Amino acid sequence: MANEQTYLEEVKLAIIDGDDKASAVATRDALQADVDPLAILNDGLMAGADVVGQRFERGIFFLPQLMLTGRALKAAMAIIEPRLQERYAEDGGNKADTGVVVMATVKTDIHDIGKNIVASMLTASGFQVHDLGVDVPIKRIIATAQEVNANLIGCSALLTTSMPFMRDLVDLLVAMGERQRFKVMVGGASVTPEFAEKIGADGTAQNAVKAVQLAQRLIRAQREQIGVSVR
Amino acid sequence: MILSYLDIIDRANNGPYISEDNWDLEKVAMTTMKIVEKYDLAWNPEEIVTDDPGLADTIFDAGLELAQTLGAYSRSTERIIEFEPGELELGMRLMPQTLVMGEGKDARTLYARRIMDERLPLVWAGNPGAPHPEELFVPAVLSWAQEPIVDMITCGTLVEVDGREVRTEDPIEIISTRRELQYLRQILRQVGRPGMGMLAAQSSVSELGDLATAHPDYLRPCDAHLVPMLNELKMDNRNVARAVNSLEYGMRNASLPCVIVGGLGGDAPGSAVVNVASFIISNLTCLSDYHLCHPIHMLHVATTTRSVLWVENIVQQAFARNAPCIIVSDIYPKSGACTRELLYETAANAIVITVSGGHLEGCGSADGNAPNGTGLEARLMGEVGHAVARQGVSLQEANALVLTLLEKYEHVFEMPNGNPGARIDQAYELQTMRPVPQWEQMYKEVKTELREMGLVTLT
Ligand code: B12
Repeated sequence: MANEQTYLEEVKLAIIDGDDKASAVATRDALQADVDPLAILNDGLMAGADVVGQRFERGIFFLPQLMLTGRALKAAMAIIEPRLQERYAEDGGNKADTGVVVMATVKTDIHDIGKNIVASMLTASGFQVHDLGVDVPIKRIIATAQEVNANLIGCSALLTTSMPFMRDLVDLLVAMGERQRFKVMVGGASVTPEFAEKIGADGTAQNAVKAVQLAQRLIRAQREQIGVSVR
Repeated sequence: MILSYLDIIDRANNGPYISEDNWDLEKVAMTTMKIVEKYDLAWNPEEIVTDDPGLADTIFDAGLELAQTLGAYSRSTERIIEFEPGELELGMRLMPQTLVMGEGKDARTLYARRIMDERLPLVWAGNPGAPHPEELFVPAVLSWAQEPIVDMITCGTLVEVDGREVRTEDPIEIISTRRELQYLRQILRQVGRPGMGMLAAQSSVSELGDLATAHPDYLRPCDAHLVPMLNELKMDNRNVARAVNSLEYGMRNASLPCVIVGGLGGDAPGSAVVNVASFIISNLTCLSDYHLCHPIHMLHVATTTRSVLWVENIVQQAFARNAPCIIVSDIYPKSGACTRELLYETAANAIVITVSGGHLEGCGSADGNAPNGTGLEARLMGEVGHAVARQGVSLQEANALVLTLLEKYEHVFEMPNGNPGARIDQAYELQTMRPVPQWEQMYKEVKTELREMGLVTLT
């Protein structure tokens, strides 16, 4: 349907432009024209975010564009979310590989550039991200994850002297009997896969693109685990 | 009279509220974007060292306008620290033009350098902040402290003490920072230069370590410590505490805004504008005695990418022409010890810094993220800087040299795991404290190449 294409194109352009007003209007228009909400999500919003992500990786776009796109996505998601839920329900609960993430730079560490990029890219990929900022005590990270019923906890640390707090987080989750409830991913320039494994986290990624892939993988794994345990 | 620091604390407590997100996007990113448009700022990746005084002046004006428009942000109170234009200007007029580092026969005087200054840049050796296991800390620092060309030293951080993991804001931070300083003082005595100046307390991540070492047995008043600014144009009470701590003690404050090129300022020109604004603001918020110029690349970290080299070049020229002050520029190469690329990166960066008006600090080899830095690249950094000044290399000649060197190392930014090279204990014979033969050989070969390229006075 040529008409549907035009609506999707508008949504995509608004996301690439990082224009939150335009993305809200375009999303609403598309919904009113009966375009499938899943198509709006995948072929409009995500397609636009993809372009922005690629331009960022290639050094054509910079952080402000990424942040503006994050805003534009948020505005559109607020409108589309209820319709998506209905749509997922129709499909028998077959949700996309996204979920709720709590992100933070851990206690005593104020390096947030990498964490912000990861958070923006996760948002751009349809995750609902609760970014707690920097220097966040692990208790608060866990409490927020419980409160918002997160699927994933993402911790960032750039200092070898703050990385131990990520281990504390995993240990505390275990002690609280909550380890199975959340997937934990860790990251930062000094974080290696060996470190992630040693502290009992579920994975790490070297950059934001890989972080999104990791998050999607973890969400799938979590859904399978839940599926298995229910059966 | 310059503002009392109490006024700054008052303003941080009482200034207008704004959320951090809005500061980042609405204030810093948007205002910078507008200013870049207004002044029509652009850069040319083939002109890393610029010979365009008008551009340097415009970048300066744009940065001053940004500083006047925005002020600074306190992350602790979520308020804007506002400044009157006159206060910023007074701050600039009072920037030290000379600064003695160290004491006695080992003292050296930093000074505000000019563009193409024929006076030698000072050589500040070390890989600031790079994490080290305890057993590698002394060999690493010794490797550069023993180099005669070195004027001042700095160091990495201790990851563990006595086999115990160091954690920030834990009592062990006090121990690790004091341990760092004990080692440094011991090394200075060992190389026979006990009075040499230092930039240290790198192991102080919170303010704890910094407070614990403000004592003549550790950091002397003739030494320097970091007062970082957060990205972009932000302070927090931790870093305010560092500045306040040295008010009476009199340690040298080094402001450290690590402007992210490709970050909130956008591309290189906007990032240069943010860097200029950060230095102007840091005169007041960090009480800086001198400025550390350390822009980093958003994706590659290193200071040796084209865009970051360009920013270092234009920021130094902007100040040299409009508000002379002491700028020490960091060299943070992508590559680590025992790689030829590390030497090319170091040479290129040293050329840019020296010719455009800075002193040399480095090298934070392997992104400053591993104990893979050695005295040999610090030696090369100094030798190249000295040759550039001695020979009177022009801006255009410097640009040609840098472009040639970029061709030899730029591929490292495409390497998926970087180019970290070898640890200090693999790059040096620790018994003799000499570089291993293949590392020394590489150094000799690269020097020959540099001479052939035109750095004929390279000793
Ligand atoms: C910029 C910077 C700063 C800025 C930070 C500004 C900010 N708002 O973040 C400032 C100047 C404030 C700063 C301060 C300090 N810094 Co600093 N800093 C850096 C630097 C140069 C770059 C970091 C960066 O932003 N990189 C760019 C981003 C995009 O990369 P990234 O963070 O690695 O993130 C990517 C991946 O890691 C991954 N990722 C990140 N998070 C996550 C999370 C998850 C879940 C996943 C999956 C993936 C993921 O994806 C990201 C995107 O691709 C590094 C050097 C380095 N090699 O990293 C030093 C570095 C981290 N700093 C260091 C130090 C020592 C300090 C100070 C202690 C200095 C001092 N003595 O005061 C203070 C610490 C203050 C504190 N309490 O934290 C050391 C750490 C050494 C150590 N012990 O481990 C480093 C390694 C370098 C150095 N030699 O100085 N610093």
